[in-house]
Amino acid sequence: MNKLLFILIALLLLTFTSAIAGLHFGPASITSGQVFQCLLNNCENPISQMVIWQVRVPRVLVALVAGMGLAIAGAILQNTTRNPLADPYLFGIVSGAGLGATVANLSLGEHLGIALPLAAFLGALFAIAIVLFIAKILQRMEQLLLAGVAVSFMLGSLTQFILYFGEPFATNRVIFWLMGSLSRVEMSNFYVIGCVLLVTIITIIAMHRHIDALLLGDESAASLGVNVDRLRLLMLGLCAALTATIVAYCGGIGFVGLMIPHIVRQIIGVTTLKLVIGSALIGGSFLIWVDIIARSALANAEIPIGIITSALGSIFFLFIMIRTRNTN
Amino acid sequence: MPIQLQVNQLSWTINNTSILKNISFKVNKGEVIGIIGPNGAGKTSLLRCITNQQQNIRGAELNGSIYLNNKKIEHYSSKQLAQHFALVAQKAEAIFSLTVIDIVKMGLLPHKGLFALEDDHDKAQIKHALVKVGLDHAEKMTFNQLSGGEQQRVLIARALVQQAQILILDEPTNHLDVYYQHQILDLVKRLNVTVIMTVHDLNLASQYCQRILLLDQGKLIADGNPIDVLTESQLSSVFKLPCQVEQRATGQDPSSKKPRIFFSLPHDQSVKINAGAQDE
Repeated sequence: MNKLLFILIALLLLTFTSAIAGLHFGPASITSGQVFQCLLNNCENPISQMVIWQVRVPRVLVALVAGMGLAIAGAILQNTTRNPLADPYLFGIVSGAGLGATVANLSLGEHLGIALPLAAFLGALFAIAIVLFIAKILQRMEQLLLAGVAVSFMLGSLTQFILYFGEPFATNRVIFWLMGSLSRVEMSNFYVIGCVLLVTIITIIAMHRHIDALLLGDESAASLGVNVDRLRLLMLGLCAALTATIVAYCGGIGFVGLMIPHIVRQIIGVTTLKLVIGSALIGGSFLIWVDIIARSALANAEIPIGIITSALGSIFFLFIMIRTRNTN
Repeated sequence: MPIQLQVNQLSWTINNTSILKNISFKVNKGEVIGIIGPNGAGKTSLLRCITNQQQNIRGAELNGSIYLNNKKIEHYSSKQLAQHFALVAQKAEAIFSLTVIDIVKMGLLPHKGLFALEDDHDKAQIKHALVKVGLDHAEKMTFNQLSGGEQQRVLIARALVQQAQILILDEPTNHLDVYYQHQILDLVKRLNVTVIMTVHDLNLASQYCQRILLLDQGKLIADGNPIDVLTESQLSSVFKLPCQVEQRATGQDPSSKKPRIFFSLPHDQSVKINAGAQDE
């Protein structure tokens, strides 16, 4: 218990430090002292004050909740499907969001406003609806992932088909959006993602024993009074809504949901409550640092964060595979 | 002894294939009952029906009635049923590195509200269950690293924390060597709860069960104490093999004799192995 408490405090410190670091880095040179002064609304330079409150604070907060959300969604999907490879992106959510964004981009032109995240969100929900419908027909939850991969490719090809015949500027916008970025996020995005995240976390706290029961198999969980199909549907719906909201504002950010729960299992534990708390803190910190790299790695340009998470994620994935082989 | 479970004319079909046919029996509180029969006789299906875990099977139709403590089983919620029945499967595969304590804690689920925290009483109960199955030293160990017998004991500890009045075991000794087979069944017998289990090994059933239900092709052929059920004529007819039954005293209680069963395969029913395969 003491060890767990120690790890938890260390992770809270990590998250706090990451957030402070996130406020510090950026194209405008603002010293650490100025950052603190601006946070206390006591900044001498009004431009620094504006940069901190209107650019960096929303960006760090959105990175925090988006990282938390993606990692939690991955953790919950892995535990409820008993599949360590489950990830919100494998359920066709990004492909659906991409299709929604493509249709909105090509039909509304440049004056998108809220239409882009809204269309992306609807597209993601559409993808999940198809996946669930197929799983319902098959009546086999273990085939959910395969159905997700199939839907992902189907919607991806539809998006590419539309983009191929679309206007080049709109196509560019969609492609950049799909790579993931936090450069255009606002405080309102943080509130929306934060609300969905809060509902998800409260539901998980309520159902954590039910989700844990699934770790020993469906039959075992059912014998403990768990309605297995209903629980999976609820969790899948929540993870889909959470991921769709994040993707709608931040674009495609892959591998966070796959990678972070793997790390958390090694250091904290595998049961749902521990996994979700650890994933939230490490996932949030991770995405803040990825965003720092995205803003700071190149002199006059930003790297889309989806590129960085995918690169790190794929290396991590290979590392895990090699380590597992050596252990065996 | 009060009747705890009553099964009346239970029939179960899946896509018009008859799985269980007109089965009736009663279970008294505290009895240790073994369900025996050849593969496909309907042993696991019967367990599924009496615990009401058969609902999600497509094309299934259940007739007859099951009463638990004089109340129809369908009038219990799944959570209430989990407070009455605890299932110990023949083999459980834990995903990820679940520890012994993680699994035993699962037994709290039917008794806890959604946001309820684990209190001192729960912790004491978990500790007590682990001591009872002799695994109090192993609570931090990973489930998948344990031997088959230890894994079964973890699942029994979970069932104890579940505080169920009826313990359901599906082939609890299937993957175990002789030592662990006896260790598990001896433990189960001493738990002082009602036990209903399917058993493949007829000699183990004879030794540890007070009552035996013999199933064949979905029908209940015999129901009674081991001496009455495990007879040469019934067993050779159900298992399609000649058999001999001797009454022998067990090591634990020399005064009470239990049937010991020996089967032998007639020569004309041996699987023919061709000469080439034999040479290899």
